[in-house]
Amino acid sequence: MELGTLSGILNTTLAVVFTWVAYKTGSYIYKYTPYSYPNARINAMEAKLLSEQRFNELAESRTLQNFVVNLEDTEYRDYLAGVSNYIIEEVERALDRALAGSYELMFKMLPKRSRDFFRLLLEEWDVRNIASVVKAKMAGEPASDYVVELGPMLPKVKAMAEAKTMEEILVVLEGTPYEEPYQKLLLGELDVSAFETELYRIYYGKLMEYAASRAADERKIIEEFLRMKIDKLNILTALRAKAAGMKAEEIRHLLIEGGSLNLEPVLHVDDLSMAIAELDSTKYGPVLREVREEVERDLSVLEKALDRHIITRMNELVRFYPLSIATPISYALKKEAEVRKLKAIAKLIEDGARPEVIKGIVGEEV
Amino acid sequence: MDPIVYVSLGAALAAGLAGAASAFGVGVAGAAAAGVVAEDEKNFKNALILEGLPMTQSIYGLITLFLILLSAGIIGGGFKFTANTPDNIVKSAILFGAGLTVGLTGLSAIPQGIIASAGIGAVAKNPKTFTQGIIFAAMAETMAIFGLVGALIMIATGVGL
Repeated sequence: MELGTLSGILNTTLAVVFTWVAYKTGSYIYKYTPYSYPNARINAMEAKLLSEQRFNELAESRTLQNFVVNLEDTEYRDYLAGVSNYIIEEVERALDRALAGSYELMFKMLPKRSRDFFRLLLEEWDVRNIASVVKAKMAGEPASDYVVELGPMLPKVKAMAEAKTMEEILVVLEGTPYEEPYQKLLLGELDVSAFETELYRIYYGKLMEYAASRAADERKIIEEFLRMKIDKLNILTALRAKAAGMKAEEIRHLLIEGGSLNLEPVLHVDDLSMAIAELDSTKYGPVLREVREEVERDLSVLEKALDRHIITRMNELVRFYPLSIATPISYALKKEAEVRKLKAIAKLIEDGARPEVIKGIVGEEV
Repeated sequence: MDPIVYVSLGAALAAGLAGAASAFGVGVAGAAAAGVVAEDEKNFKNALILEGLPMTQSIYGLITLFLILLSAGIIGGGFKFTANTPDNIVKSAILFGAGLTVGLTGLSAIPQGIIASAGIGAVAKNPKTFTQGIIFAAMAETMAIFGLVGALIMIATGVGL
């Protein structure tokens, strides 16, 4: 072989090898490195989540003042510092602020490409608040009692709660995606439950659109998470509707698109126990079987079981994809569950429940 | 290409690629270390040990650089392959191949940094996983060691020190 040919072969091989190595290395670095700092920090934050033993100690608090004092060596200290009257509303607001603080921290830490997802996730609180305020207004109750201090639209939600008339709320919602369903509600084209469904439909529509814009593992993780959330909502809606004796046509428009379950067979059965039996053959069958005894008496048991299932599945995804968006999602779910538990304990203490009763009730929480 | 180009490229790629990969690996693990220390200073010791693991590839690169330069006579004497003969081209290509082997296997520092980063997070959550975290990260080291051994064989048998 001539020297020129030998050099030519070597140079071409080198060019191919280097291009391939550069491409692979680049994509590897782009995929994983942005999650290095946030996910490690979130893992460290997860280690600080309250243990069962800690919840039991908190259940022994007996007064809200003791409850607040018992949380002084935790992450909640700064948020509870402003609590002076030790009334439940004040404590709940402080805990909500703590949750908002966690979201804010994650929002700051996460890579740019994932931030929007967390911004969208926070909008669920807007949807919950808007639905609560509208329901409270329609029932003639003080709406501000139902506002959770979270969500990017919080100032608007507070303005809605202070509105004197239902029409004033329309002015507040002007320019938001929720204006149209509210208009329909005022015109009587939608009832309250259909209005709430419409809000969730818009919210999940935005999230699914976001998921579709992602690539590879990130898309897979986000889509699976969203499908589980939509499935949970749809299962609970379908079962509640069946318990209320609603017909398939009435239930169908209350379901949200995008879930992984075909609930059509559930809609056509006669009662709740048949609907539950119909769900037994789906992927949520094992979750249902765990709580089968209590579900027919109290559907909130199933809601908690489904929440636990979502957290378990997200934990599995964290193990498969440690440097991905699965870690912050999983942490957010756990933090939400923790705040929910703390609020439940605080409420029960306020109501004068005995520590054993509190432990029993809170132990069933997610 | 002239033999000097092959020899220089081989030495540069061995130290350069492995060094750059180590820098990326330590960078990724370092970001994770900073994250866990921001939450709890007690994580510092464990994080530091895991963060340092991807550095070894740059040492292998440096060793190979010295061996290539020594073997070609650039260190400790005159350059042995000045004439553009087939024998010199082959020898300098072998040195180039040795450098490239260490450089490419040194890229294992990047995934090692990623594994170490995940390990730092896991240790922050559960300190009992520290040893396992080190073992998982050390697995990526194997490829770099294979590369170094291969390069030593190539240099020793193909060219001689």
